[in-house]
Amino acid sequence: MSAVFDDDLSLIGVRRMMEGVIPPVLCTASTDRVPNVSYLSLCEYVDPLHIALSYQFFNRSRENVLATRRAALTLDDPYTGAGVAMQLEYLRTETEGPVFERLRAKLMGVASHVGMDKVFHLRGADIYRVLEMRRVPGRKQLPATQPRVDLPTNSRLLSERMANCEDLADLLETMLDGLAELLHIEHAMLWLTDPSRQALTLLASHGYDTGGTGAEISVGEGLVGTAVREGVPIRVGHMMNMATYMRAVRDSADEAGFPSEHPPEIPLPGLKEPRSQLAVPLRARGRVLGALFVESQHDQYFGYDDEDALMMLCGQLAVAMSLMQPQEHELPAMPAAGVAATFEQSGPVVRLKRFGRDNSVFLDDVYLIRGVAGAILCKLVAEYLRSGRTEYTNRELRMAPELRLPDVQDNLEVRLLLLQRRLAEQRAAIQIEKAGRGKMRLVVSRPIVTEVAEN
Amino acid sequence: MALTDDMIQLLSAGVAHQVGACTNAGRPVVCRGMAAQHEAGRLLVIISAESGFEVLDAVRQNGNIAVNLTLPENYRSISFIGNDAVVRGSGAAWRPLVDERHAAFSRQLLRFGIQPEYTNAWYSASDEHLVAIRFTPLQARNQTPGPGAGDPLALKPIEFEK
Repeated sequence: MSAVFDDDLSLIGVRRMMEGVIPPVLCTASTDRVPNVSYLSLCEYVDPLHIALSYQFFNRSRENVLATRRAALTLDDPYTGAGVAMQLEYLRTETEGPVFERLRAKLMGVASHVGMDKVFHLRGADIYRVLEMRRVPGRKQLPATQPRVDLPTNSRLLSERMANCEDLADLLETMLDGLAELLHIEHAMLWLTDPSRQALTLLASHGYDTGGTGAEISVGEGLVGTAVREGVPIRVGHMMNMATYMRAVRDSADEAGFPSEHPPEIPLPGLKEPRSQLAVPLRARGRVLGALFVESQHDQYFGYDDEDALMMLCGQLAVAMSLMQPQEHELPAMPAAGVAATFEQSGPVVRLKRFGRDNSVFLDDVYLIRGVAGAILCKLVAEYLRSGRTEYTNRELRMAPELRLPDVQDNLEVRLLLLQRRLAEQRAAIQIEKAGRGKMRLVVSRPIVTEVAEN
Repeated sequence: MALTDDMIQLLSAGVAHQVGACTNAGRPVVCRGMAAQHEAGRLLVIISAESGFEVLDAVRQNGNIAVNLTLPENYRSISFIGNDAVVRGSGAAWRPLVDERHAAFSRQLLRFGIQPEYTNAWYSASDEHLVAIRFTPLQARNQTPGPGAGDPLALKPIEFEK
């Protein structure tokens, strides 16, 4: 059976109507032709002839579709007010595979963002063949909005700037500055995956009052955590509308007793009232190294084109992070004899407390960092107190067995950068600065005492 | 059966209207409605004959209809089902009702940042295209998104004047 589409209509051309600003409307009918009309959570483009609809609950629509295999669907353009009407033939329900995973990620990402991920469960992705697609006649449409920037050209410019970066700090700064300058994305965060703890740590941010470096969330938490867990981008273009929809489902499900949330140790940066958000995974060598998260105070700020552009730039960033190793053959195997510490710092003593279980580090009872970055700091400080050394090579850290670095080549450099930024943001009495290629220097401005707690 | 008081209140609260039907050949069809009104135990819904031509055809074939009303502020959603729907009268007489419902709906969507200019696209039918469909609600269904979508809601018996 061949599909009948109005001239110039294609499924890829209407995929922006599937974003849920105006929820899709599904009409089914029983075998005795009693109609049933309902709104859908998600509609997803599959290929030029197929779409997927979310299957969350066994309700009247589902019953009808299984009985008749037919449905009508209408979609509204979130920009112009235009609409399309489709005739669908139900083919099958997928419970695994890329389409299912994409739908589940979107559903969980949005649900998690509004704290309702315990209620939502995607039972399947219902795959439909689109038999007909026609424009809804008689609508006086608004003119299409102009794109805010020339996305392909400016993405290319940013990509070229990133390609010229020689170290990781420069690369991150170039990317975040370039997003603002060239793509008009003013609010962005870069999150780093810590696979051993199933956590994400904020590495850098742009456009917020607080930097938040070192802040943590769990993999699977919110849009960012879900994008990382599933390895796919997740975009929400109309936060208020989606949140209201989700609350309606929660109330309808009559669920109660959500686990209470603990306040984060480091306050998360973020817009108070975001209207659009997009999380894009940083993927390289088959792994998800982290995620870029961008947001805006405007509705529908990020479209499919932004998603495509940021996927490309994030891919470049992830590969660069993996490859950006100091050229160790140019370095001495060991550093020059440690620069002796003077131990003449003045001022009150800084208490560095380390919790052995997860390498959490507190400075004067204020949480600083945990994980590999925490272990690095403790090693540097211990060596400093023992021998007075202040300069180290990255290589000797990478070889240190006690750091138990995850099996990711870039990890040390990224963790060092995270630690360096967190210390700088805290204006701590201990700082780390670069001391040449592949080398770092510990700068201590106050006397230190250390303490280790087992738990 | 007749609508309960809270169902009647919902009609004027600024709801979105969706009107579904099914042809004798089993083709489900749906279009956006513009207004609904309770009339002595019956429900009247206004659609555009231009955008809703398929729904009108299906209703004329078998009288089956589903009218879904959804309040954007909380997604509370109810469907009314009937099997005696008839297409009645058209034209400018419905314009005041459509304008009133349009204004209430625009106020609802403005809460979400959707400007009236956008909503206008859905209400741009000319007077000559305004068509009314009347039917007796046999069933009401909860269509609030979630596991209970499609479950029946209680209606009340029609009270006839003695």
